[in-house]
Amino acid sequence: MTTVATDVAPPDARKAGRYVYGAAVFLLCAWVLVPLYFLLINTLSSPESVNTFPKAFIPEFDLGSLLFFASFAGMLDALKNSILVALLTMVLSIVVGAPAGYALSRFEFRGKELFRMLILLTRAFPLPLLALPLAVMFIRTGLDDTVIGLAMVHTTLAVPFAVLITFSLFSGIPLELEEAAWTLGCTRLTAFTKVVLPLILPGITASAIFAFVISWNEVFAAAVLTIENRTLTAFLLTNLETSPLHLKFAGGFILVVPALIFIFAVRKYLFAMWGIANR
Amino acid sequence: MSLFTKLSGAASGVAMLLSATVAQADVLFWSTQAKPVEEAQAMRENVLASAGEVDYQPNDGGPWLTRLNAELQAGSGTIGVLGALHGDFSAMNADDLVDLDGLGMSASDTFNNLAKLGTDNLQYIPWMQASYIMAANKEALQYLPDGADINALTYDQLIAWAGNVMEATGEAKFGFPAGPKGLKHRFFQGYLYPSYTNGVVRTFASDEAVTAWEKMRELWAVTNPASTNFSFLQEQLLSGDAWIVFDHTSRLAQAFNERPDDFVAFPAPAGPTGRGFMPVLAGVGIPRTAPDMDAAKALVQHMLKPETQIATLRATNFFPVVDVELPGDLPPAVKAAGDAVAKMSGSADANPGLLPAGLGDKGGEFSQLYTETFERIVLAGQDIRMVLDDHKPRLQAIMDASGAPCWAPDAASDGPCPVE
Repeated sequence: MTTVATDVAPPDARKAGRYVYGAAVFLLCAWVLVPLYFLLINTLSSPESVNTFPKAFIPEFDLGSLLFFASFAGMLDALKNSILVALLTMVLSIVVGAPAGYALSRFEFRGKELFRMLILLTRAFPLPLLALPLAVMFIRTGLDDTVIGLAMVHTTLAVPFAVLITFSLFSGIPLELEEAAWTLGCTRLTAFTKVVLPLILPGITASAIFAFVISWNEVFAAAVLTIENRTLTAFLLTNLETSPLHLKFAGGFILVVPALIFIFAVRKYLFAMWGIANR
Repeated sequence: MSLFTKLSGAASGVAMLLSATVAQADVLFWSTQAKPVEEAQAMRENVLASAGEVDYQPNDGGPWLTRLNAELQAGSGTIGVLGALHGDFSAMNADDLVDLDGLGMSASDTFNNLAKLGTDNLQYIPWMQASYIMAANKEALQYLPDGADINALTYDQLIAWAGNVMEATGEAKFGFPAGPKGLKHRFFQGYLYPSYTNGVVRTFASDEAVTAWEKMRELWAVTNPASTNFSFLQEQLLSGDAWIVFDHTSRLAQAFNERPDDFVAFPAPAGPTGRGFMPVLAGVGIPRTAPDMDAAKALVQHMLKPETQIATLRATNFFPVVDVELPGDLPPAVKAAGDAVAKMSGSADANPGLLPAGLGDKGGEFSQLYTETFERIVLAGQDIRMVLDDHKPRLQAIMDASGAPCWAPDAASDGPCPVE
């Protein structure tokens, strides 16, 4: 084999390396984009062509399937509720999760390790198991069928991620930075807002996106805990499974697009967290 | 701090929207039926539009039951009317359902008795019915074995037919709903067992049952192996992955409605003990926690009106349970399925079965047992006798625990149905 000192690979190997790299990038992109593209094509196809094979590569722009949903009672309300619940979940899980993450990384207290374990436990019980007692309690307290009630449930699901992500973010920022700010006249709070917060904002955003996606995708609690204020996922997903193929595609498209738009809108924070320059 | 501004803006927007939601006082129709989006839409627009303010919400079985139980436990609820299969109701405690005598009845005494759930009063009211039938792509008809009449097939002829198709096209094109959401267990309980053993429970492990499972294996050999993924055979009929299929009438409807000239519907095949088949029965009930009892009862009565029943038929492909005169302009799927069911029940060797009754909350376990038997014998290729003997005590335990007496075609029993 070549020795460590060889820092220039033979041209052949470098070329091959580039091909492998290019192929890997292409494959990864195709992995994500091809299914989405087929979803789009089938959404814009007539029911007949959805059932035929091979698929046309260019959609025929038949809007029948999408128009069906436009007239489907309650779609817009459900979309609104979904966005509301997801945004509330985002805010709540950061408000609850980030301080916990800060405490875990900055302070020593008894039972810290146990606390870290326990926070994961909220994900250890399947929702169908929890949904019954939760629903009973919600009905009794009046939280039933409200956006805020459902957002609280989704927050419980999202908080472990928020805590663990922010914990590692805070741990990555040297305490010395904060201490330097204190010596230069900052209080504990201003040191946090002026020094630490700008550094971890991308990370916070990332965990907020997690919370958003978790809430957006959750079906069971949403289906049990809301009746008139259904979320889009609860409203559509349970019914789509048994629907004809062309409506499955269109419904799937409708479920995917808002989440895609959201992630696209906040992508620069995600990239920043991964160490790629803002662009 | 621009992010803070954005966040606070979002938060205030959220607060505004939250306060804008207004509660409505519709009757909530909580249903496990008519779930597909098109059917739900048709229910809302055509069936329930004339019934006053009704909020029709179809759901999966899991959330449906969880929500219902939560309301029953909490002692107050929003659900006005329940729509579900007989099996869903029989799994409930009869005390949780309001007695509905006097609101109407189906034309079938059998259905009315089922709806009493073992009590003296109607616990739910039969709402609509369906069955399972066979359907085929017309291209497959040329491969019918000599002398076979499509309206009076036997299981042997069906196997030979699917074999001919496989030989001619090189592909196995019999489609069977063995997918995760497929209704395969109903094929064993209502079709295969009655046709070969003239029973379902008593004859579970009989020698005739061994023959039945041998036939099932032969059938599986000419079945599209992707059937373990098929749950709604209308999709495979339309895509051409299957040419000959067995499924629930409403799970075949889309194929007939989209391309009525390409497919035929026909009765299920017959075995040595007749042409076994079974109905599907859905009902409407009222939970004891219904917020507006009078409105709920009015809605139940509305569902039983002849014109509502016909609108329901158009919306869901489930047939009326009251005596109605069917109009001439029904959708193709309804005509095809109606003809097939009529031929099936009118055939000389008809051997109609009943829905499993009296199993209560053991209904799921009961069906699971038949599914497991299928998986072990046909998919895993285990010895038939061994599997049946293995499952026999489990079946007996289910019958003993629920105390369910035998139902047709099994001979009647005193006490729990014995597995012989």
